[in-house]
Amino acid sequence: MMSLKPRAVAFDEKWEKIEETVTLVLTLGAIKQKYWNERFSDIYALCVAHPDPLADKLYLETKSLLENHVRDLCVKVSAQQDENLLSEYYKHWLKYSTGAKNLNCLYSYLNNQYVQKTKMTEADIMYGGTHSHDSGDRNVRNCHETTGELGLDIWQRELIIPLQNRLAALLLACIKQDRCNQNTDSPTTTIRGVIFSFIDVNMFKNKSSLELFENVFEKALILETGEFYSSEASAILQECDVSQYMEKVINRLSEEKLRATKFLPPSSHTSVEKEVQTKMIADHLATLHAEAPAMVAQENTRDLGNMYKLLKTVHGGVSVMVKQLQEHIKQKGLQATNNLKGDNVPAQFVESLLKVHQKYMDMIKNLFSNDQQFVGALDKAFESVINHRVTSRNICKSPELLAKYCDSLLKKSTKGLNESEVDDKLAQSITIFKYIDDKDVFQKFYSRHLAKRLIQQQSHSMDSEEAMINKLKQACGYEYTSKLHRMFTDMNISAGHNQKFQEYTSQQKIELGINFSINVLQAGAWPLGQSTLTPFSVPHELEKSVQAFEAFYHKNFSGRKLTWLHHLCQGELKVGFTKRTYLITMSSFQMAMLLVFEKTDSLTCAELQQHTTLNDEQFYKFLQSLIDCKILTASEEVLEKTTVLKLNFDYTNKRTKFKITVASPKETQQEVEHTHTSVDEDRKLYLQAAIVRIMKARKVLQHSLLIQEVISQSRVRFIPQIPMIKKCIEVLIDKQYLERSSSSSDQYSYVA
Amino acid sequence: MKIKIKSWTGVATWRWIANDDNCGICRMPFENCCSDCKLPGDDCPLVWGQCSHCFHIHCIMKWLQSQQLQQQCPMCRQEWKFKE
Repeated sequence: MMSLKPRAVAFDEKWEKIEETVTLVLTLGAIKQKYWNERFSDIYALCVAHPDPLADKLYLETKSLLENHVRDLCVKVSAQQDENLLSEYYKHWLKYSTGAKNLNCLYSYLNNQYVQKTKMTEADIMYGGTHSHDSGDRNVRNCHETTGELGLDIWQRELIIPLQNRLAALLLACIKQDRCNQNTDSPTTTIRGVIFSFIDVNMFKNKSSLELFENVFEKALILETGEFYSSEASAILQECDVSQYMEKVINRLSEEKLRATKFLPPSSHTSVEKEVQTKMIADHLATLHAEAPAMVAQENTRDLGNMYKLLKTVHGGVSVMVKQLQEHIKQKGLQATNNLKGDNVPAQFVESLLKVHQKYMDMIKNLFSNDQQFVGALDKAFESVINHRVTSRNICKSPELLAKYCDSLLKKSTKGLNESEVDDKLAQSITIFKYIDDKDVFQKFYSRHLAKRLIQQQSHSMDSEEAMINKLKQACGYEYTSKLHRMFTDMNISAGHNQKFQEYTSQQKIELGINFSINVLQAGAWPLGQSTLTPFSVPHELEKSVQAFEAFYHKNFSGRKLTWLHHLCQGELKVGFTKRTYLITMSSFQMAMLLVFEKTDSLTCAELQQHTTLNDEQFYKFLQSLIDCKILTASEEVLEKTTVLKLNFDYTNKRTKFKITVASPKETQQEVEHTHTSVDEDRKLYLQAAIVRIMKARKVLQHSLLIQEVISQSRVRFIPQIPMIKKCIEVLIDKQYLERSSSSSDQYSYVA
Repeated sequence: MKIKIKSWTGVATWRWIANDDNCGICRMPFENCCSDCKLPGDDCPLVWGQCSHCFHIHCIMKWLQSQQLQQQCPMCRQEWKFKE
């Protein structure tokens, strides 16, 4: 074991041995462990030599040794013909780079003790620190790099730089051969190895280790790639149509991706891909876009998918497709809803729209990977289909149709659908609902239908009803469905009233004579028009029930006024004048008419009307329904005051339990118009409330800003017309909620 | 008996018997609830004072609590007494 103590050392003696070993290391020759250890100690000895350490000298000698070695290699490599140059270079590189790493180990002491000390830390460079931590080491100021680093640096300077143009040209030629599906002159490992040597030669450096690679090779590669693919693109376009072109481009792109992983470092994958995209797609955007309309019109799925794949790589590239598709879906949607005829227009309307919607949702999912731009196009297309009006004066029928569709699903009569199927269809109809601008119109129609279903007990299932209202609430918020909820609550409260009333009658020993129940509804929450109000004298069979209930109600709830809606009341009559007994459900008006015949078999119209006191319109309407279903017979076709009415004793019907309805198309048409006018009234109130709310918060606001704010606030319910907003502002000025600002003519201020 | 009523389901609406359309305190219609409530009807009832003025119960209670000296009807300044 030699001493570690510093002592005088003869440099030349030691260096001779070191030089020998270093040459062996660089050529990967066999070195015995003993010699390795000796050299290791020699280097230590030189570094700590007395009186002056010889590290600096050792470093310089080693440097020139390495330089000479690499210069020799350079002469050897550059003497090669082109076909062997790459393999020769690669062979020597593999050897030398391993050797340099090993050398770094041999020189560990020098590297650790001298080089690391003189090296500036990152922080020193960043913050301008001085490199004078080691004031004692004057001798090693030339040692900036570790030996390994030094070795690789010399390789870069003495070999790569002189040969860089030849190397790059040969590498590019190989890659071009690969692109043309030819065999490359050199094997893949060699090509990759040479390319990576430009990076690995800087492996000891942290920063800018890619700079050499970029300068020597990548720049040229990108340029070459661009040239290759731009001529390739024009060549393909000369002989193929766009659909074939797109396929080829996709193939090219995926090949190029593979090629990049084969030859190139990850850092250049995207830049090469980008270049190919630019030359093959972005440069031919106009050609591709020109084909888009036809492809969309034919719904050619393969071409559309390919086109999407290509165009999405270019910024803004798909916008033409998106626009085309939006127009296309709109046309398809309008076609599907145009000229609907037959009994079941609402169902046809909703279901065919849903079909179109589903089809294009699938298309967007499968071909365009649910790209938001396309989803947006679908939404816009459906908005314009669903809110389409033939002319601006026409009323949009969609809200009404959708409401009717929901009604048909929720009504008892729905045949062949079980509850979960009904729920599914209702859930789907929400898809359509969301596109409707006039959500308030839908609400009006829906609440009318709901009122009818609840009062006439036609609901298929209360669970479905409630689920649907909850879905609407989710889509539009609490306020939107509050009246619908209220209607439900009233039904429950009424059930409670009925129970309490029964207890009350048995306590009070009141005998009603009939099976009585009632729905007590809150006037404001139910869409029950007053239009059908008519005088009506309640048949005396019912009088007792009416009076008893009123007494009961006023006893329990003071300050409330009850109004009977006889046109909505209905009862079940047992008809015994015929051969068989029938149970017939009918409205109070019809009941009252039939009950008059209890005492007589024939009456004139005038007499009957006198008994019931109904007005002409209601009287003839309900009377007609009794004649139409043949329970009464009339002496004349057209009913006059003198027409004689008789009970039809020969009446037969297969069913013994049924219902007489009164439905005239004229009335439903009136109802529709009535609904639309009441929507208009509601809108005015809603807008006025919105304006007051906004002005109360802002105090002073410009006309155009106020209009904007109002529109954005009411958008959830409907799209307000600007003239209507203006009118509402006028009304509020008249009511002195607002005033025009004295300073500016187009400003309003809030009057507290 | 030729015709007999088996059963009858009546339908009736109720509304408040009030001497005004709107509540004098919150200015909301009596048809609707007071400004603090969401649903009109049984949860937000009306009350009448002996002076015959009527309000949402929530509104008049708030008003009465805010009065320190005398409990007055906000409409006519008579002493507020609930009508039995």
